[in-house]
Amino acid sequence: MIGKDKLFSTFEKVAKSSRADETEIVFIGNTSGLTRFANSTIHQNVNETNAKILFRVVFGKKIGVAATNSMAINDLRATLKNAIEIAKYQKDNKYFIGLPEPADYAEVDTYFENTANYTPKERARMVKKVFIRGNKRKFTCAGSFSSGDGEIAVFNTKGVRCYQPVTSASINIIAMSDTSSGFAICLSRNIDNIEPPALADIAVEKAFRSKKPKPLPPGDYEVILEPSAIAEIFEWVNYIGLGSKSFLDKTSFLSENIGRKVMSDSISFYDDGTDPEGIALPFDFEGVPRQKVYFVEKGVGKGVVFDRTAGNRHGVGSTGHAVTADEQGEGAIPLNIFIDTGDKTREEMISSVKKGILVTRFHYINGFIDTPKAVLTGMTRDGTFLIEDGQIKHGIKNLRFTDSILRAFSTVKGISRDRRPIPSWWDAVGCLVCPTVHLGSFKFTGTTDF
Amino acid sequence: MKNKFGNVLDWLKSKSVEYADCRYVRAEKESIRVTDGIVDTLSRDVDVGVGIRVLYNGAWGFASMASIKESDIKKTANKALQTARASASAKKDNVKLAGQEAFKDYYKSPCEKDPFLVPVDEKIGLLLEISDRLKSNELIKTAEASMDFFKTNKIFCSTEGAEIEQDIIESGSGYSAIAFDGNEVQKRSYPNSHRGDYATRGYEFIEEMHLLDYVDKTREEAIELLTAEVCPDTEADIIICGSQMALQVHESCGHPSELDRVLGTEISLAGGSFMQIEGLNDLIYGSPIVNIYADATIPGALGSFGYDDEGVKAQRAPIIQDGIHVGYLTSRETAPVIGQKSNGTMRADGWNRLPLIRMTNINLEPGEWELDDLIADTGSGIFFDMNKVWSIDDRRLNFQFGVECAREIKDGKLGRMFKNPLYTGMTPKFWNSCDAICNKNHWHVWGVPNCGKGEPMQTARVAHGAAPARFRKVKVGVSK
Repeated sequence: MIGKDKLFSTFEKVAKSSRADETEIVFIGNTSGLTRFANSTIHQNVNETNAKILFRVVFGKKIGVAATNSMAINDLRATLKNAIEIAKYQKDNKYFIGLPEPADYAEVDTYFENTANYTPKERARMVKKVFIRGNKRKFTCAGSFSSGDGEIAVFNTKGVRCYQPVTSASINIIAMSDTSSGFAICLSRNIDNIEPPALADIAVEKAFRSKKPKPLPPGDYEVILEPSAIAEIFEWVNYIGLGSKSFLDKTSFLSENIGRKVMSDSISFYDDGTDPEGIALPFDFEGVPRQKVYFVEKGVGKGVVFDRTAGNRHGVGSTGHAVTADEQGEGAIPLNIFIDTGDKTREEMISSVKKGILVTRFHYINGFIDTPKAVLTGMTRDGTFLIEDGQIKHGIKNLRFTDSILRAFSTVKGISRDRRPIPSWWDAVGCLVCPTVHLGSFKFTGTTDF
Repeated sequence: MKNKFGNVLDWLKSKSVEYADCRYVRAEKESIRVTDGIVDTLSRDVDVGVGIRVLYNGAWGFASMASIKESDIKKTANKALQTARASASAKKDNVKLAGQEAFKDYYKSPCEKDPFLVPVDEKIGLLLEISDRLKSNELIKTAEASMDFFKTNKIFCSTEGAEIEQDIIESGSGYSAIAFDGNEVQKRSYPNSHRGDYATRGYEFIEEMHLLDYVDKTREEAIELLTAEVCPDTEADIIICGSQMALQVHESCGHPSELDRVLGTEISLAGGSFMQIEGLNDLIYGSPIVNIYADATIPGALGSFGYDDEGVKAQRAPIIQDGIHVGYLTSRETAPVIGQKSNGTMRADGWNRLPLIRMTNINLEPGEWELDDLIADTGSGIFFDMNKVWSIDDRRLNFQFGVECAREIKDGKLGRMFKNPLYTGMTPKFWNSCDAICNKNHWHVWGVPNCGKGEPMQTARVAHGAAPARFRKVKVGVSK
């Protein structure tokens, strides 16, 4: 950890030599470790200390961006020079409205010493406990366990000084037999909230109950989708529909549906970068405070997120969801997506199903089939079960679904009153916080051999 | 750098490591993208650091740091050693590496015109012209055109005495048009979807694409798709274009032939493989005309290099021969499991990542057919053109792929356009239904710049040589 004072004093020094009208420096640094295991042995164990320092310089409406991973003053100055050189060749971006002024952002506790100080040896000790839990019931275990700390800082010559120290830890576990597998996952900024042996028990139980799975024909079924399955769906819903680019490109299912009913009344989901129930980060990579933004509220399309440039293009302000300057062509995206809870327990929902399917998680979802209708396809994996007469009967072979998420989530029969943070590819700076959801109709269109 | 690595490797040897290697990587990237006449991405990124891999007491440790100071390299080596000790505390069997000649060599990818020396305004000018021409019809809602360039210098040294330096330049470009008529949204791309085509070549590769020649066709096809009929749900004989065949090879043969995946070490994220060791030299993967091989030696192909990140020389290796599964992509650790030496496919996404088995250029050998003859011979069917959707199960069996555009084959000719086309199947059954592959006139090595694998996630740049091919009685759509 470099620290707020040293980072900003270094950036002040470097920015003084900038000839640009405005200069922005964003720092993203991390020291992290990850232990990977499979066949109940550790096969990869890695550590990384790295940083990315991005310069964005502004000449009128011309922008240049350059990045380095070295904090050496000479390298920082060379990168600034590179950004200025690039800006010379730029064309005016008519939608750009300059870098932001300073603004207050929420105070959120995102740093936990225990997580920062967690060692490879401690990760190995926990992973061994996972193996023991698996071995007891004759299952092998695979997965990964990561921990680390980092710093995110946004500096600009208009006075923005945003700084957030962060930690995060996550584990995923798959328990496996010859014919089945089960899955469990946990994510937290505080490693003390992660209990690998207890998670191993969940994965093992799922693998045990899904042994020798039976085939089930494709068709339209009631489903209970557990939090990981919901997160995988909404990760794609985000990708194709909740950011400014897809909205403005008209490829989002929300582009033509603001104010219109798109899902069941019981469905609301939003982004909130300040809620510690997720992986909070209270400002974006331009230094704008993150606002709470509803995408769908009580089933009705509400809006998407914007950065300053896309917000100006659409005639609205930034919602505080800018990505780093080198990625801003992709527009603003939400990073902390929350799906509102309901009033049921998982068990109550299962007991209400006459015939249906319980899905632990999905694999390899793709949502580019028909994005305005949010049609997704993907496979189930690691614990798919037949429910009959309110009871989990047995494991079933994995199924492919192909369905419009707007249609399927217009058939909601229940939502759990608890929800959990599930990591995604952007898990250092966000996640999806998801409940278990009971849908009345979900279309499975194919099967596989296991 | 080699001297610094020598000192650190000597120190590691003094700590009784069984094996260690050090990798220095300096990676430079330039990205340019024009959207609707605005340059919304123009950035350069320089990333430098060192990664050290240590095998101690039969277990691996890896550490990396964004520094090239000798004191930091030694600290990193010590961290890798401590991490290997931690791994050893939870090991089952000792890691054993296949034997390997310790090369001392230098490799440089072919490059006639360094893309980093081509004036930025020349590159922007081309992309702006493409964007403007794509937008020349009001039904085009968004026009995007992009270029990406990578320049990588790598130095690899090992305790076995290897000293390898490589300089690799990669270039790529592509564009797309999104059409919107107030109701329907459709997209067409050139020369391929997902940011175009890529190669380990210089700016001459971009020039040879003749990007401007295909702008009008791309725009008009995006508009035509708006009023096209939805692709029917049916069972049909289908012809798949070359770039989509590249994706088909990638997902249904490239990934499942990675031996680390077969041995279960990728199961928690990307999944396993149906191409199990018991089936080696026995599994009927496809029809007798299906021949697929890995070849990292094709000059200029995106998956080509001199040596992999374990110091193994680039090579060609068969995977499917006359329809039979005969080989895997291997590493020094996994190859001994099947009694072989590594065929050189271990690559890392930068200094801060551990090398994994990655595809190189995984190619489907060309067949005998001219495309027009194949369409004529098919009589009735559907032609699938350019990837849009990809999804496959975690053993690589059940797949469902979609393309940007399909055309009906009627009376041996291409006819009306279909939108939102999907086809689906089970991998071996599908490849066994392959009865015709187009010849070398239609064969091209397609660069795929974004292959994901591993935890932490790594992105590899790989490629696939492929030509259009025909498959019989394939399920098209999802309702029937």
